[in-house]
Amino acid sequence: MRWPAASVVAGLSLLAGASAAPAQPGDAGAAKPLYDLKCAGCHGEKGDGKGPAAELLDPRPRDFTSGIYKIRTTAGKMPSDQDLFRVVTEGMPGTSMPPWSVLPERDRWNLVAYIKTFAADKFKEPQKKLELPKDVASSEESIRRGKEMFEAIECNKCHGDAGRGDGPSRAELKDEWGHPIRPANLAKRWNFRGGSSRTDIATRIANGVLGTPMPAFLEAVEKPEDVWHLTNYILSLEPDVPAYATLVTGARVTEAIPDDPNADFWLKRPGQHIPLMGQVIVDPRNFNPSIDMVTVRIAYTDTEIAFHLTWDDPTPSKPDGKQTFADVVALQFAPGAEGAAERPYFLMGDQSGGVYQLRWESDRGAVEATANGPAKVARLAASEATGKGVYDKGRYRVVLRRPLAAKDDKRMTFRPAVFLPIAFQAWDGGAGETGTRMSLTSWYYLRLEEPQSVARFVMPPVAALLALGAMLLVVWTANRRGSSGS
Amino acid sequence: MRKGLGAFAVVAAVLAAAAFFGLPSATAQGGGTIEADVKYNGAPVIEKVKVNKDTQKCGNEAVVEKVVVGANKGLANAVVSVPGAKGGKAVKGVIDQQGCKFVPHVVVMSPGELEIKNSDDILHNIHTYSTANPPINKAQPKFRKSMTEKFEKPEIIKVTCDVHSWMLGWVAVTPGPAAVTDGNGVAKLENVPPGKHKVEVWHETLGKQEKEVEVKAGQTTKVSFELKK
Repeated sequence: MRWPAASVVAGLSLLAGASAAPAQPGDAGAAKPLYDLKCAGCHGEKGDGKGPAAELLDPRPRDFTSGIYKIRTTAGKMPSDQDLFRVVTEGMPGTSMPPWSVLPERDRWNLVAYIKTFAADKFKEPQKKLELPKDVASSEESIRRGKEMFEAIECNKCHGDAGRGDGPSRAELKDEWGHPIRPANLAKRWNFRGGSSRTDIATRIANGVLGTPMPAFLEAVEKPEDVWHLTNYILSLEPDVPAYATLVTGARVTEAIPDDPNADFWLKRPGQHIPLMGQVIVDPRNFNPSIDMVTVRIAYTDTEIAFHLTWDDPTPSKPDGKQTFADVVALQFAPGAEGAAERPYFLMGDQSGGVYQLRWESDRGAVEATANGPAKVARLAASEATGKGVYDKGRYRVVLRRPLAAKDDKRMTFRPAVFLPIAFQAWDGGAGETGTRMSLTSWYYLRLEEPQSVARFVMPPVAALLALGAMLLVVWTANRRGSSGS
Repeated sequence: MRKGLGAFAVVAAVLAAAAFFGLPSATAQGGGTIEADVKYNGAPVIEKVKVNKDTQKCGNEAVVEKVVVGANKGLANAVVSVPGAKGGKAVKGVIDQQGCKFVPHVVVMSPGELEIKNSDDILHNIHTYSTANPPINKAQPKFRKSMTEKFEKPEIIKVTCDVHSWMLGWVAVTPGPAAVTDGNGVAKLENVPPGKHKVEVWHETLGKQEKEVEVKAGQTTKVSFELKK
């Protein structure tokens, strides 16, 4: 009778798996060579966050000697071993810290022990787990209360009215070391540094994020359970990790396409999410791009095509040409490349092959351009493109439209039912992005859905009726033969 | 009944006698006074910051007074302390956030509790840059008018608010007698035990100076400092 209990215990410990504390504490000495190999490049040999790569990173790598850690589930200042282990294992989304789950678990625990030696005195204090208030399940009521509390405790000061990281204090924020730091875009929780589970979010609200401007709110909310209402509200802002599109499609419509980017016509269509990366191929590079996603919706009629683009940008820029530039989004096409074996170079083409771009620029509106590389962009005269952009609470929405057919061979002709190369680029001028300092994608394919005729509704019943008629004929003929033979 | 009353009277008498004849009490008996005169040979440093939020509380322009110089080159907001002196009255610290400023700009307190007020009816956050004491970054929304934090170790702590980045205050946690210079650069430290002491002056941007003084019971000892650029 005793073995089932033992197996339950064994099963539970297996379930706990990587999240359980190690049987024996990590061996700091054993981790030094590994640390020097894998970690010192950013965090420095002395753990002071001054590795050779540190200058290029934003946010900067952690200075372990400070003993200041962002992600804690403890009530005190220092994180638990488990907190450190988790960051080593899962990395920090939205930063340069990658997940090190490729390393054996033993090595990761050893690294945790080694990292702690850089601030050994501070880790001597006894630790206590942070006690969160009792969990409150999400409901309309809870989300409403969360929004109320969001406004009452003024989360918007940094995170913005819609939580997109565009609050008025944004530009002033500095971390413990005096480096500029940006408030989180709460609508993109897949970038949350310490994870995006309910408990992760509630813990960050309750505990704050040490070394950053984010304060602890556990004692600052009206009632302790408000921490959970706030969590439920934040989780209600946007869906979880977006399903990124692999093929971009455009819908054939018969009604007039509205110019207004906030029109229901657009917002009711499913958005196709495209992830963008910083441009790091040519100088000046953009290691810390501001824009990491563009959502696209496309519709076309007999004569014209329209692109609806949505992306988050914390500042509507007023270009001064020195530090602030226009906010820009570009759609890139390869005229004549459909069906061709080779497409132009995705980074705006090169000498051997050019690209066509349909752009929206915050100071100029719609622009048509050709390019043979990022330094060779030429605006096309007599543009037939029009565009309208709106900016609201940290988010741009833009409609760009153009005739389907090109008036010359520099421009793109959009043909339905073929795979057209398409790429996306974006610039946050308020973050100093211009020229090659941009976010971009490589080539995707755009397919404009074929006009849908009524044939698909008519033909199947017709075929069915014909088949039925043929069967009846066979039966009738067989019956006649049978009766005449008897 | 009579017996009970008698016992009570005896206890009361003993207590009264103990108080009179000097059981250790909060105030140092027979202490002297140090009057420090702090001067600065440079110009005031004042920065102005344009305000883009909460203007109804903070005004349109925030004035950051980094170096305040009064009459006769008197340097305000300097902390004068006698770190080595024992005794003295325990001073509770109180700091307010008023008009998006820390009031007073520099607080002196004994190790223990600091009361943090928010008179502004908007969100502030108390962010301390301490090393000896645990650093704090706690939100103080408009409905939280007062909160209390503990600072047990001697240290001069920078305090900021991240919502209003120009807000800057200092909390000087000192075990001995201490005071902040007024607008004329004068600070009076009372109840300093007689004897030779090191007097220290500290200013947020101008640094530290030290001088030795001898304090006599019931007398005022004057000491002057001149901080330089």
